[in-house]
Amino acid sequence: MSEIQHPPIVQFSHVSMQFPGVLANDDVTLDIRQGEVFALVGENGAGKSTLMNILYGLNTPTSGTVSVKGKPVDEFSPSAAIARGIGMVHQHFMLVPSFTVAQNIVLGDEPRKGLFYDFARTDQIVEELVREYGLKVNARDRVEDISVGLQQRVEILKTLHRGADVLILDEPTAVLTPQETDELFDVIRRIVREKAMTVIIITHKLYEVMAISDRVGVMRRGQLVGVSETKDVNERILASMMVGKDVLLEDLDRIDDHDDTTAIEVENLQVMDNRGLPAVRGLSLHVERGEVLGIAGVEGNGQSELIEAITGMRPIRGGTVRIQGKDIRGMTTGEIRALGLAHVPEDRLSTGVSAQSDITDNLIVGKEKLPQFSRGRIHLRKRSMRAYAQQLFDRYDIRGAGVDSLVGSLSGGNMQKVVLAREFSFDTPVLIISQPTRGVDIGAMDFIHRQIMEKRNASCAILLVSADLDELYRLSDRLVTIFEGRITGEFKPKEIGKQEISHYMTGGGREEQA
Amino acid sequence: MKSKERQQYLLSLAISVILALMVGALIMLATGHNPLEGYGALVKGAFGTRRAWGNTLYKSFQLCITGLATAIASSAGIFNVGGEGQMYLGALASCYLGARLTGVSPWLALPVCFLAAILSGAVYAWIPAVLKVKLKINEVITTILMNSIAIYFCSYMANGPLKTMERGVNTGTDAIDKLFRFNRLIPGSNLSETVFWIAGISLLVWYLMSATTTGYEMRLTGQNERFARFVGLKADRLGIAGMLISGAMCGALGMFECFALQNRFKPDFSSEFYFDGMLVAMIMRYKPFGIILMSFFFGALKMGATGMQSQTGISSELILIVQSIIIFFMAAEQGVVARLQLRKTRREPISKGG
Repeated sequence: MSEIQHPPIVQFSHVSMQFPGVLANDDVTLDIRQGEVFALVGENGAGKSTLMNILYGLNTPTSGTVSVKGKPVDEFSPSAAIARGIGMVHQHFMLVPSFTVAQNIVLGDEPRKGLFYDFARTDQIVEELVREYGLKVNARDRVEDISVGLQQRVEILKTLHRGADVLILDEPTAVLTPQETDELFDVIRRIVREKAMTVIIITHKLYEVMAISDRVGVMRRGQLVGVSETKDVNERILASMMVGKDVLLEDLDRIDDHDDTTAIEVENLQVMDNRGLPAVRGLSLHVERGEVLGIAGVEGNGQSELIEAITGMRPIRGGTVRIQGKDIRGMTTGEIRALGLAHVPEDRLSTGVSAQSDITDNLIVGKEKLPQFSRGRIHLRKRSMRAYAQQLFDRYDIRGAGVDSLVGSLSGGNMQKVVLAREFSFDTPVLIISQPTRGVDIGAMDFIHRQIMEKRNASCAILLVSADLDELYRLSDRLVTIFEGRITGEFKPKEIGKQEISHYMTGGGREEQA
Repeated sequence: MKSKERQQYLLSLAISVILALMVGALIMLATGHNPLEGYGALVKGAFGTRRAWGNTLYKSFQLCITGLATAIASSAGIFNVGGEGQMYLGALASCYLGARLTGVSPWLALPVCFLAAILSGAVYAWIPAVLKVKLKINEVITTILMNSIAIYFCSYMANGPLKTMERGVNTGTDAIDKLFRFNRLIPGSNLSETVFWIAGISLLVWYLMSATTTGYEMRLTGQNERFARFVGLKADRLGIAGMLISGAMCGALGMFECFALQNRFKPDFSSEFYFDGMLVAMIMRYKPFGIILMSFFFGALKMGATGMQSQTGISSELILIVQSIIIFFMAAEQGVVARLQLRKTRREPISKGG
């Protein structure tokens, strides 16, 4: 409390937020100082977003007070919050895809010429903003055509255009590549340093906390369990504060007796993306039973299309894919699964679950015609379905109200456990896993990693795609790098550093192999 | 949680119904009628006589089968607004055969007519279903347009190529053989033996939707088609199957209407029955059991309205207002619930003490 020259710009005082059945924030008292980068960390469900949503006016606290710039907040609404200079960039962007960057930025506050929209002035305003803050975007690009990283930049510019001086970023790096993350951090540093902005960043990733923040607050079960200068803590301390127990990812046990049978063979594969442009260009790889092959790459280099082609979600344009020795060309997802493949998809909400169905339905699907769950493949045995779902629910430590509750009501981590529980319980020899722990808290992440390793040790062939290098290093037996739809290198994780590998991920040192 | 949700839903349904009836009462007051008398006449109109009972029951069965027809297609992700057209084709096809097969044993002829009815309905539903599944063409638009095509086509046939020579019949096909007709259960009312068929079909569909693997797979497909495809379900086929069953049910109803009540195909045999059933299905969120129950409430409302008009002079359209208000409240409620759920999932998942 020595820095008197920095008065608190935001003050939470004994703020509690009661949702039906859940105390999401429990007596939180916290000061955010003018001109700092404050990181708010905690597991899924710890109450971080709830607290920030209060500041942004989306939630009205049940008790306690919030003050912004010394004035107590009496009206909780986003428009009032914006007027007070609060800006928030959500995890899911709120942009109009068919509008240009500039049009999105001025949306809601458009320049007019008489009755008409002033297009020229719009571009001008945005170009001024870009110059002022040094956030490079192209005003005339359509939002649907630009990368996620740029879209996020548009969101930030939007809040700046509305005059925000306190910027809340809700898990901003969850959708970014490592390189985009670095660029975002540069932007944050610049606006804090040059424009005296205050930035609050919600995140799971502890190394990001260390990299970007001045101070850090840790939340657990709705309470603020600690606030500290970032320089006084390290990742291990933060992690143990978050989960209340020491789980900083130790090494996993490997049993090495894999049987060399090739289970996944991809040869010279070619796949198109949604726009009909080549996304996978002559890619080859193979995965043996009892190993994890990790694919490292900056997102958007063909990983998604590769996985979709292997699993039957996207047509194969050229080359072959063999699962368990069978060419899968022209097969449906169901037929490919019948060869002995299960798949954890990258986008769990749109692909991995049916959010409006209950947990039981989500866990059973694919097995409903087994004699255990239906008489004569027709009449459902509901009691047996429910009992089985309950078993998986317990075994995978899914935290929710019960197997009858909707999957949509679960947190990201628990939703992912539902996907994992279903896919792993098919007991297939081949597993395709994409982004298994995206947006998942550390406790769940460790659990998921252990499940994957258990499958590997049970001699499954596992193809793993992840944007998280730590995850790839922890799980993979072999790593390949992908760039522009081609494999650019193959490594043993122990033999290559993270710095060096990112060189291959960005196109350096092409040597077709694997 | 599920049962809590259901309780909440039933509560809001009850509130909506009561509020709507109150608004109805206000309108009666405003137009110079006594609401008690009005509703009294409504109840009497629906249940006052054996004949009224019969008509109310028949209306209810009609709502039930059309409601379930909407529901099964919707559960598989396709919104069938085209039931009316499917019903017309089913009616025309079965009536044509019903007249042509004169002399054949009813034990053979009736199944043949029935098959013709369900096939015509199903085939006509198959077209928009395939367009939707393969080409992503919005089924609401295609089915609405196809209603007009079917109705005008049938109307043309009944006034032109298939018009009966019988005297005293202005429009309509040849009469169906007397032996093929369904008997009335209550003389003078619309209640005929067809209700057993309708009940049978409805129970079958209810069973299919709520207790079979196919119903389960359809439901998952309807809720998230990409997910269904991802887990290996034949999503396209399931969607089309839902539409085929829906169309077949509508075709069957077309036959029942004509074989029991009209004795021939007449272009005006339906007063948009399908849409009444569709509304019931929407109010009950496509849940089969709810639809079966709610059909009887709306059946009574619908039939009672006529009695009310003739007894008290209160226009039967008032009941349309009441009905619309119920839908309005329920839609609003659904909107709010959906909104809350969305916020809940987007928000930090507060629930399970993580």
